[in-house]
Amino acid sequence: MAFVNVRNLTYAYPLTKQPALQDINLQIEEGEFVALIGANGAGKSTLCYALAGFVPHFFKGELQGEVEADGKLSSQSTLSEWTLNVGLTFQNPFNQISGAKYTVFEEIAFGLENIGVPREEIKVRVEEALALTDIRELARRSPYSLSGGQQQRVALTSILVMRPKLLVLDEPTSQMDPVGAKEVFSAVRKLAQEGMTVVMAEHKTEWIARFADRVVALKEGRILMQGAPREVLTSDLLFENGFGVSRYTSAAREARRRGLWTKKSLPVSLDEAAEGFGAIR
Amino acid sequence: MSDRLSFHVQRDSFLHRLNPLTKLTLAFALVVVAFVLPFYWTPIFVLFAVIVPLSVSGKIFREFSWAALRLILPAVGFLFVMQALFQPIGEQVVFKFYFLDATTESVAYAFRNAARIFVMISAFTLFLLSTHPSELMSDLTRRGLPSQFSYVVISTLQIIPQMQAKANAIIAAQRSRGLDTESSFLKRAGALGPLVGPLVFGSLVEVEERAIAIEARGFTSKRAKTSLYEIADSKFESVLRWSLVALVVLSIGLNLWHS
Ligand SMILES: Nc1ncnc2c1ncn2[C@@H]1O[C@H](COP(=O)(O)OP(=O)(O)O)[C@@H](O)[C@H]1O
Ligand SMILES: [Mg+2]
Repeated sequence: MAFVNVRNLTYAYPLTKQPALQDINLQIEEGEFVALIGANGAGKSTLCYALAGFVPHFFKGELQGEVEADGKLSSQSTLSEWTLNVGLTFQNPFNQISGAKYTVFEEIAFGLENIGVPREEIKVRVEEALALTDIRELARRSPYSLSGGQQQRVALTSILVMRPKLLVLDEPTSQMDPVGAKEVFSAVRKLAQEGMTVVMAEHKTEWIARFADRVVALKEGRILMQGAPREVLTSDLLFENGFGVSRYTSAAREARRRGLWTKKSLPVSLDEAAEGFGAIR
Repeated sequence: MSDRLSFHVQRDSFLHRLNPLTKLTLAFALVVVAFVLPFYWTPIFVLFAVIVPLSVSGKIFREFSWAALRLILPAVGFLFVMQALFQPIGEQVVFKFYFLDATTESVAYAFRNAARIFVMISAFTLFLLSTHPSELMSDLTRRGLPSQFSYVVISTLQIIPQMQAKANAIIAAQRSRGLDTESSFLKRAGALGPLVGPLVFGSLVEVEERAIAIEARGFTSKRAKTSLYEIADSKFESVLRWSLVALVVLSIGLNLWHS
């Protein structure tokens, strides 16, 4: 049975009529890395909140359907039980800094202190997590002195250190440069291989194509399409619905329209595009 | 932006190794003694026989004297001058400033008050210099202070760097949209008006997100919390704290008996 089961989920925030999520059905296997894509307002963050239990435990409003993870229903658990298994990072890293700690090391230890992990184990786990996301050199800095991209790494690390079974990341690389983003994707890929289930809302389609197992495309609160990254990202359906996909795909699509692109599939990365365009001559 | 968010200076010293509560008790005890012991020179004695030697043995004499001379002394000096001039006591005029007289008595009175205030601020400066705020809070939480309370205290202490970091981000954003932040002060002050909105209203909106964020990290978990820091405490320190309490009681008693 799937590790995550979202069944007929429809949700509207308080005082709103238009549901932010409509009739979402989604199954995710253990160790799978799923990318969520969609325009602003499509419902990516809301779906992340629902997976992490904040809908309905923190955000009230109207909810139908259910979210199940690891055999338990979010509506039947308390938020603190749920968050032991499910970790969430937010779009804005600045607001995730606890505000109670003076160094990055302490900041990452915060969650472990809260759930009563013994001191020596805290130190070991924080060191490991720092190494995993490659931010050892930030350990003594103040979280407030960091750049947005660095803060995003700290936010990710402070959730990873809790070892959630399901990791939910809401645009975790939005303030990073392409190289930093790629490193995060590759670290997440590794975690998934080790059995962590990952859901990541993202825009960087090139890295999604390369690292994710599956793409779920959201539009106006509904799942428009899902499947293998390459198929979804190069599909006509996404294009017709105005999704911003990689410029390599767009360029090749235009070339295909003019009869220049002869390969069967459209490219998602620079290499594939270069190869395909190279064949045109 | 500065990386230093607290006064705390990391050193390996006897003073740093003391339990935070012991140091807090000591600071309070010194203040009470300086204020209530009915001997004129008590505050000066406390300052030079206790606080200064402690700062030396705590390896923070340099930082301490910087704070004492540059921050505390000017403030206390001002207080001294004001009280010496305005306190209407005594006959023997030593100094005249227009219609204001400083008499031997008013100078002596002002000096004692200034010395007391000096002791008060420097005792707590010493405490802050040698104590990490997180350690203090973990220790107090371990002793039964609600963790929500420590969170409020610590996060309040962090509001300034937080605001600063955010102001920098907003300024960068406004500048990239053409807001002038580099010309004359007045022009800038006017132009920075648009900054106030996001800074203040942003904070209110962000409270919700921060609440979720700490929740996501188990803040309200029912399990007993642990602490990254090993906070030393010993029978000796416990005895020391109770002795300090006894000293406080004794000083107050002496004060009442004397008057
Ligand atoms: N706290 C909230 N209260 C009311 N409506 C909200 C709230 N957060 C998001 N929404 C609305 O829900 C919809 C989905 O938003 P969101 O999940 O943030 O989308 P995305 O993350 O894909 O940009 C949007 O129409 C948005 O305006
Ligand atoms: Mg979002």
